[in-house]
Amino acid sequence: MAASLQIFQKTKAFFIEIGDISFFALRFFKEVFTKPFEFKELMRQCYHMGNRSLLLVGVTGFILGLVFTLQSRPTLMEFGAESWMPSMVSISIVREIGPVIIALICAGRIGSGIGAELGSMRVTEQIDAMEVSGTNPFKYLVVTRIVATTLMLPLLIVFGDTIALIGSAIVENLKGAVSYQLYFNQVFDALKFSDILPATVKSFFFGFAIGLIGCYKGYHCKKGTVGVGEASNSAVVYTSMLLFVIDFIAVFVSDIFFEV
Amino acid sequence: MQKSTSQKIKLGIFVILGTVLLVSALYFIGNRQNLFGKSIKLHAQFANVNGLQLGNNVRYSGINAGTVIGIEMTGQSQIVVSMLISEKIGGRIQKNAIATIGSDGLVGSMIVNIIPRKGEFPSVISGDTIATYSKIGADDMLTTLNVTNENAAILTSELLEITNKVLEGKGTVGMLINDSIMADDLKQSVFQLKQASTSASKAMAELNGIISSVNYEESVAGLLLSDTASAQKMRTVVDNLEQSSVNIEAMTRSLGTYISEIKEGKGTLNYLTQDEKFVKDLDSTLTNIKEATYRLNENMEALKHNFFFRGYFRKLERQNKKN
Repeated sequence: MAASLQIFQKTKAFFIEIGDISFFALRFFKEVFTKPFEFKELMRQCYHMGNRSLLLVGVTGFILGLVFTLQSRPTLMEFGAESWMPSMVSISIVREIGPVIIALICAGRIGSGIGAELGSMRVTEQIDAMEVSGTNPFKYLVVTRIVATTLMLPLLIVFGDTIALIGSAIVENLKGAVSYQLYFNQVFDALKFSDILPATVKSFFFGFAIGLIGCYKGYHCKKGTVGVGEASNSAVVYTSMLLFVIDFIAVFVSDIFFEV
Repeated sequence: MQKSTSQKIKLGIFVILGTVLLVSALYFIGNRQNLFGKSIKLHAQFANVNGLQLGNNVRYSGINAGTVIGIEMTGQSQIVVSMLISEKIGGRIQKNAIATIGSDGLVGSMIVNIIPRKGEFPSVISGDTIATYSKIGADDMLTTLNVTNENAAILTSELLEITNKVLEGKGTVGMLINDSIMADDLKQSVFQLKQASTSASKAMAELNGIISSVNYEESVAGLLLSDTASAQKMRTVVDNLEQSSVNIEAMTRSLGTYISEIKEGKGTLNYLTQDEKFVKDLDSTLTNIKEATYRLNENMEALKHNFFFRGYFRKLERQNKKN
């Protein structure tokens, strides 16, 4: 009885949280189109989330392309289909692996950062102070961050995909003596709009999810400094889960429109 | 303030680079599908497209020329495939070109191959429909292959039986392979055959030499072979010979009859030829005649020396001397 009650309580808490996040998102859409617009803060956030993540995304993307090609080569060689490597790697990276992996990396770096930053502002009552001073903290702190992640993540994914393909091309060049020109010719032969457009659209949603969950967790942080860590941790966990849910939905939707 | 400006510049570079990369990727992909360059639209009607999809490549003589932009079914079983071909290559496709649906490699995606044909025809223009040729599909190939496999299995089992029999020495082939005596005989036969063929070859060579040494212009053979008048005469001679042989045959037949009649008959000739007593009498008579003649000669010689006739014989001698 106590266990079922506990499950009920947790389910109830889960739905309450989903509802809260939905209201939080609704408030974001309400605030994002109303003045004043915090462009300066938006630029700062874009710089911190975009430029500062570039190295991490670049290294991750390069290793991703490199390892993916190295691991796939033996299997393709068994079938005598080495020439399919550029097609396979490019489609896999651009359509699925690139966006998901880079979004997860960004969820770890950006999502946790936002959760911790806003959480610490909440527990140190900086957000309350902003409300008292007449500044809209939601617009200044939340809207700018969510817009920044939504705009920056697609660019980071484009960079990550490009670097991953370069890593793959290097492996193919060294192992299979495939020229870079031939490699990228085959890559663009294999890629279609139906590969790149859904992935790009999906990455906006990934960015939005990272910003939204990070801000929500930080903005509603409780229990002092312990809550900051919790907010940061749960931001990453929730965002990672939400990314896969979004990916699942995106694949279904793109399948309807592009017949993948 | 300085830091903020630097951040803005870095952010600007990042955003521009990211956007350029995205747009470049979109451009390259679009360029591959002839979305940005000038292009023409061609149609081809197929009965079966074998899984062809929108966006599949179109090749002209093996060169990527465009993409499939439409697959529509018309009527009960006809499928119209629309293709977007780059104007640069489209200008080289003649109206008599043929479109076929093939596979890009053994397990590759489907493609439309446009094959040029001989002859001078005007180039296609946008909206043209070109002729098609339906290749045999993979399913049809597998069905045929299945039948072939079954036949191969039957053949293999029968071949196995034959091989076993051969190994056991049964049948002509088995004997040939296993019987050493027969092998020796065969070897000898082959050797003799070789010798015979060598002799025949030599004979042929000699014959050729003889034939080549014949003077066709001046010899009788040449005259016979080339002169029509001689040939006519020869024909007459042959005819006469033939007639003579007929006559001879008739005469021989008559002679045979006559001889048989002689043999069987009782006339003088039969008496002369068949009666042995007559022969002995005749022989005795001839002996008596010979003896009588001898004695007559003696009498005549005695007569020469006789007194009454000596003068006559001397007179004959003197007359002979005078002549």
